[in-house]
Amino acid sequence: MTWKEKLADKLPRALADEIDVYETQLELRKLGKIDEKLFAETRLRRGAYGQRYDNGQRHDGTKTQHLHFPSEPLTKGPDTMWDAPGMQRIKIPFGGLTSSQLETLADCAEEYSDSILHVTTRQDFQLHFVHIEDTPTLMRRLAAAGITTREACGNSIRNVTACPLVGVCRTQAFDVTPYAKAIAYFLLGHPDTQDFGRKFKIAFSGCEQEACGLVNMHDMGCLALVRDGKRGFKLYVGGGLGPVPYQAKVFADFIPEEELLPIAQAISRVFARLGEKQNRSRARIKFLVAKLGVDEFKRLVMEERKILPPDPRWTAFIPEAHGFKETPLKSPSSLDGASKPEGYAAWAETNVYQQLQPGYAVVTISLPIGDLTSKQARRVADLARKYCGDNIRTTVEQNLVFRWVAGRDLTELYRGLKDVGLGDFGAGTILDTVACPGTDTCKLGIASSRGLARELRTRLAEQYFTMDAAVKGLHIKMSGCFNSCGQHHLADIGFYGNSRTLGNRKVPHFQVLLGGKWRDNAGSYGLAIGSVPSKNVPTVVERITKRFVKERLGNESFQDFITRIGKAESRKMIEDLMEVPAYEKDATFYSDWGDPREFTMGDMGIGECAGEIVSRIDFDLQAAERLCFEAQLKLEANDLEKADELAYKSMLQAAQGLVKELWYDVPNDANVIAKEFRARLFEPKLFWDRFAGGKFAQDFFRRHENPPTRYDYDEVHRLIEESQLFIEAAHACADKLREQKVANVKL
Amino acid sequence: MDLYKIGVKIFVTNPEVVNLHDLIPVFQSWIQQRKIEGHQLIDVHDYSHVHDGPGILLVAYEGNFSMDQEDGRLGLFYYRKQPLQVGLEANLKTVLNTALRACKLLEAEPKLKGIRFKTDAILVVANDRLLAPNEPETRTMLETVIASALGAAQLALQAEDSRERLAFVVSRG
Repeated sequence: MTWKEKLADKLPRALADEIDVYETQLELRKLGKIDEKLFAETRLRRGAYGQRYDNGQRHDGTKTQHLHFPSEPLTKGPDTMWDAPGMQRIKIPFGGLTSSQLETLADCAEEYSDSILHVTTRQDFQLHFVHIEDTPTLMRRLAAAGITTREACGNSIRNVTACPLVGVCRTQAFDVTPYAKAIAYFLLGHPDTQDFGRKFKIAFSGCEQEACGLVNMHDMGCLALVRDGKRGFKLYVGGGLGPVPYQAKVFADFIPEEELLPIAQAISRVFARLGEKQNRSRARIKFLVAKLGVDEFKRLVMEERKILPPDPRWTAFIPEAHGFKETPLKSPSSLDGASKPEGYAAWAETNVYQQLQPGYAVVTISLPIGDLTSKQARRVADLARKYCGDNIRTTVEQNLVFRWVAGRDLTELYRGLKDVGLGDFGAGTILDTVACPGTDTCKLGIASSRGLARELRTRLAEQYFTMDAAVKGLHIKMSGCFNSCGQHHLADIGFYGNSRTLGNRKVPHFQVLLGGKWRDNAGSYGLAIGSVPSKNVPTVVERITKRFVKERLGNESFQDFITRIGKAESRKMIEDLMEVPAYEKDATFYSDWGDPREFTMGDMGIGECAGEIVSRIDFDLQAAERLCFEAQLKLEANDLEKADELAYKSMLQAAQGLVKELWYDVPNDANVIAKEFRARLFEPKLFWDRFAGGKFAQDFFRRHENPPTRYDYDEVHRLIEESQLFIEAAHACADKLREQKVANVKL
Repeated sequence: MDLYKIGVKIFVTNPEVVNLHDLIPVFQSWIQQRKIEGHQLIDVHDYSHVHDGPGILLVAYEGNFSMDQEDGRLGLFYYRKQPLQVGLEANLKTVLNTALRACKLLEAEPKLKGIRFKTDAILVVANDRLLAPNEPETRTMLETVIASALGAAQLALQAEDSRERLAFVVSRG
């Protein structure tokens, strides 16, 4: 018997058919009857994602090894070996989960993955090291439990997220759960969402002032509002993080609930029709909204709305939504004088939230870097059955929550969680470090975000009880690269991975961002102040937090503190920590957290061309970084014109430095620099990111060819972000040029 | 039965000498030196932050190795992921031998401060709920095969809970 046969009567017919089709596509790909690109998008739309080293290459610390797989040269996508383990992303709309679903996830983690369930920053689960051949069966088992992986990746509507407290929150307008569910399933596989140029993310929030829903950073954000006794939403569009973060624009101050689905459908149509399709790095809806302006975008959407054929599903869910109510397992109660186990008080302070409904609490289960074992998952399912029923949710801070826990059960629940190693306190505090997978498993990762998160968590936990309360409440988030999966822009202290070259060695670094705002639904984004070697990050955190405690004025927030002291002073705090000791003095700086391999560049020989490697280009790039930083200072001072000019000049400086490597006498004329940069570096794809393609160069060309005639804060802010990324790309390009020189010398 | 998704855990006798993080450079060096025959070693993963988890994981195409902490007991766990196609008894022996080979390599590692494994009691896991559900009939069948293949003196079912995988602690005579 197979799982397909065993689960035949448990799978919804449509879902079973979809998975059968997917399985056939696997077979066709093996026979070479489907193009690899097409197959890649097919599997992505089923949540089967690539993973690091799946190109069959891995640097083992001394050399690049070819990984031999039995099905070679069969691929499951461009440069992606068929047999290489991959990642399976599993959508959990609004994070809502039942006990039996959690058990199924645990079973699948054991049998197809590594017994670890990973909660992501968008309320999904991820299983790693999964073999492509196992994915159809895995999907069937999940589907039998009511879980789909459809459109978990690819150019589609991703998991619809929602605040995990909605329905029980003390400050909400109303419970958005049924709305999030309705939109998730209405748009899932909808014909109008199948032709996007990039992914599309939707989030719901029950109230404006809290962070939970993060509606400001989403392609479409829905904020619950009640107007004249009628439910509806303040609708945002065009937000997003990624390399260059965009704050969402208000699409409408209020749309009535019955318009939510049709407007989402109309937005999908406009995005599919007008969104960029060729240049992936500018294909998110944020670029379309920025290009058209929100008013024009709205006009187009409302025009589209008028001609949509009516669909009964637009409103069919509304009566149910009004009657939606979760059923608590137990009657309300209070803990009263019950004896409390050791550690309970600290845990309750950070991990227990008193619900809107008296006698009930929400309990957050802190998961270290979003991970739990399959055995823990099964015990959590047992505890849920005992204390809260099926009211489990995942959170964007990579934790789980139990809702509707009766007050008198809190101590017993704590004991139960502690027994399985899940009784850690610190949810929502500085200990609750959030990290994307980074170099652990992600193909795009530059530095080890999880390694850093683990290290910071350990160190901060040791100091937690002596920390100032203001520091305890800070958020730290990190990403392994500039793509922001760790949501570093939203943290008080954020980091994203990059690398720098010293001599002929690479050093893992993290760019430091200060002053992002988690509150107010991701109210504002932090700005970079400088890049520090990865191994200095814990000292950076210590120094910044100490300074905050020492110089804080009254109840001043961290954001206000950073604004008050200014960027220049912030940078001064870390300037000495940006230095990298010589390899001979301290080699630990040249490897990443939790990875003893030397952080180095492929096949480049040690010691060759050293004189040239410590070269003028490094000096030029340093100058470009300085200009970029000065641009930030001008932005801070609201001198938009100067900020724009400096950001542009920083790109020009970096471009000139690179061109000089090929034509030493390049003049200082901006037009000549841009022209030569295009011909010598951009067109031959030397200035070319493996994943972002020519995006960074195009940002430079756009500003060079279209200098602004008026200055808008958001646009200048964006240009500074772009110039920062341009400089990062210039570092990578400089490395490429060095490698070429080495190769030429060898020849 | 074509069961090949089998796990074998061999317990450490002296866990007090083991610092999990010392396993990271050791496993990395195994990848460099292609130390495990018949395995395409891919990567090392640090799960030391997870309570009673896989500890430090060495991922290979054919199967995963980990210095595992499940149930609070430290041991080398080897999980076979790819078919062996030689029959259950032979599969069991192959998986056990692979695990034992890994243990020997670890014992010979100077960086691991004299780590030792005991082979008189091991854990055998059938990591396939379809072929080997944790039910009375499969328990009996698997017990017989394990006893014959591994020369077991005594087998103890690890968990009655049918949600858990079928697993035995096998004491060898």
